[in-house]
Amino acid sequence: MAVEMRLPALHKHVSLTTSQPHRDDKHLVVPGDVITSDTGFMRGHGTYMDEDRLTASVAGQVERVNKLICVKPLKTRYNGEVGDVVVGRITEVQQKRWKVETNSRLDSVLLLSSVNLPGGELRRRSTQDELAMRDYLQEGDLISAEVQSIFSDGALSLHTRSLKYGKLGQGVLVLVSPSLVKRQKTHFHNLPCGASVILGNNGYVWLYPTPETQDEEAGGFYTSMEPVSVSDREVISRLRNCLLALATHKVLLYDTSVLYCYEAALPHKIKDILKPETMEEIVLETRQRLVEHEG
Amino acid sequence: MRDTPLSNCEKRFLLKAIEEKKRLDGRQTYDYRNIKITFGTDYGCCIVELGKTRVLCQVTSELVPPKDSRPTEGIVFFNLELSPMASPAFEPNRQSELLVLLNRQLERCLRNSKCIDTESLCVVSGEKVWQIRVDVHVLNHDGNLMDGASIAAISALSHFRRPDVAIQGRDVTVFSPEERDPIPLSIYHMPICVSFAFFLQGSYLLVDPCEREERVKDGLLVIAMNKHQEICSIQSSGGIMLLKDQVLRCSKIASVKVSEITQLINKALENDKRIRKEGGKFGFAESMPKERITTLKRDEAPVEMTDVKETANDIVNRTETSTEAVPSPVLVAAGTAHVGEGIVNSWGLDEDEEDEPQTEDRKTDEVMVISDSEEDEVVILNEEAKKSKKNRK
Repeated sequence: MAVEMRLPALHKHVSLTTSQPHRDDKHLVVPGDVITSDTGFMRGHGTYMDEDRLTASVAGQVERVNKLICVKPLKTRYNGEVGDVVVGRITEVQQKRWKVETNSRLDSVLLLSSVNLPGGELRRRSTQDELAMRDYLQEGDLISAEVQSIFSDGALSLHTRSLKYGKLGQGVLVLVSPSLVKRQKTHFHNLPCGASVILGNNGYVWLYPTPETQDEEAGGFYTSMEPVSVSDREVISRLRNCLLALATHKVLLYDTSVLYCYEAALPHKIKDILKPETMEEIVLETRQRLVEHEG
Repeated sequence: MRDTPLSNCEKRFLLKAIEEKKRLDGRQTYDYRNIKITFGTDYGCCIVELGKTRVLCQVTSELVPPKDSRPTEGIVFFNLELSPMASPAFEPNRQSELLVLLNRQLERCLRNSKCIDTESLCVVSGEKVWQIRVDVHVLNHDGNLMDGASIAAISALSHFRRPDVAIQGRDVTVFSPEERDPIPLSIYHMPICVSFAFFLQGSYLLVDPCEREERVKDGLLVIAMNKHQEICSIQSSGGIMLLKDQVLRCSKIASVKVSEITQLINKALENDKRIRKEGGKFGFAESMPKERITTLKRDEAPVEMTDVKETANDIVNRTETSTEAVPSPVLVAAGTAHVGEGIVNSWGLDEDEEDEPQTEDRKTDEVMVISDSEEDEVVILNEEAKKSKKNRK
């Protein structure tokens, strides 16, 4: 096995911050910092009252909407909202539901009545269905689902009642921070480079080879186990390394940024993308292109 | 907070690697991780590092009335605690199954084996005896807590010194450490637990599993033994079927490991004793390497080098032949040399290059006075101007 060795060298740290006009207005706080002593404000998430002074309880950026002050934390577990697309892993099979792990404070719940069973939509869930739950989803399986509602204790209730959700087959899972995934209209993208991506709001990103035909009657539980071609695997590996590079440099993830990063990383070898110097180069190029694209 | 579950492909990878007799950190099947034992400034305080697993043990003593059923024996009390510091999966004040298991095994290993002489802990029969309390705290959980806890407990017990007492009839005087030297406990032997993890229905076993390996194990066999090859306790959990010769083989491996570990403990104890006698510094602070410029120091990572030569030769043969070497420098005159041949002069001048060294020599001899009158145009750009200036002078 050949090992690559590099001497520790002082490489110049390229400042990647783009000059945005509102950069200096960011009000960053750490837990315990006093935000304001003015009592006229209402306190929102991430703050608490400490002897008439509004103090931050998490580390993040202060946001003010009229009279409401809240602190948006930089690194946090996923806080679900209704309508979010999440990618999760089944941890338990319980009586009429599955427990799904989605990088949040509590495990999310997928009720048996919220999944599409083969054989029609409006079928009543019988006891046979209950006993056969493990045939559909086992412990360790990955699924894509949408948040249907939130329980009072904060646990999410998921559903896979559309054909685009369901059990995930062959692909690669990348874990990033939930705050890096941009909220968009759709989180399922078929990238032109030859792979598809699901950007879960909970920070779980799923990369998979684009299926040629969209199976209509599968119902979301059929996973193709056909071997994936080497070219597809290379595309997916490169995408995965690009995602890691973007996540390390805290770039918002959405289909355009991922695509630009992929194109910037094409001239490099796939495993070279993980080197810190190459990462900086690629992310710099991606940022520049994104700024041009907006402006 | 529950730990993130292991993904299917990680489980498959670990099991496949075990089938091929490979472990995540490159150890062999029967290898232990690096064991490091350090003692604190107080007698009876010990930290054991088994790879990344860290366990702290503190032994304290107190005079209490004895148990009614045993009026002439001292009391030894064991307590193991798992705090969220060890792993985010441990919740505070939660009696988990693992905690009960570890506590029971520790008690069985050290109490039932009668390694501590409890009769010597009696001060006044029926009234006052010493209660030795052993508190084990897990500081970091990276697998194999049982072994770490047992090594820490027995090291701390061997290191501990109880205060000296004098009995005058019914009066008992307890001397402080300044008045009289404290006395060590009388320990007959050192029982140490060795854990074996079984995988794939008992076909493969590993000694000293790390945390990842523990998550995919089928069953666990813990054998507590001392260096005289006496088995103090055996416990098998997980419900796997073990064959007779498997258990015998495990006990043989355990005896080898236990003798090594006992040697290590004795060496650490002797080192500590020697340092205290010589008056040097001891304690936890001294055992940590001081912060130096070499802060990027890492543990040695074992690298597989079996086929390095062939791969290196392969790479050398495959690469293209390098370009011609640069010619060695040619000495023109003392102090001037040129390497290779330069390209053609593209300045468009008619002067030859041979004139250059001569003009340069002349330049160094004369001192060029640049007149600052406005009449002369002092342009020291090309040879012609210089030459014309020299002609003028």
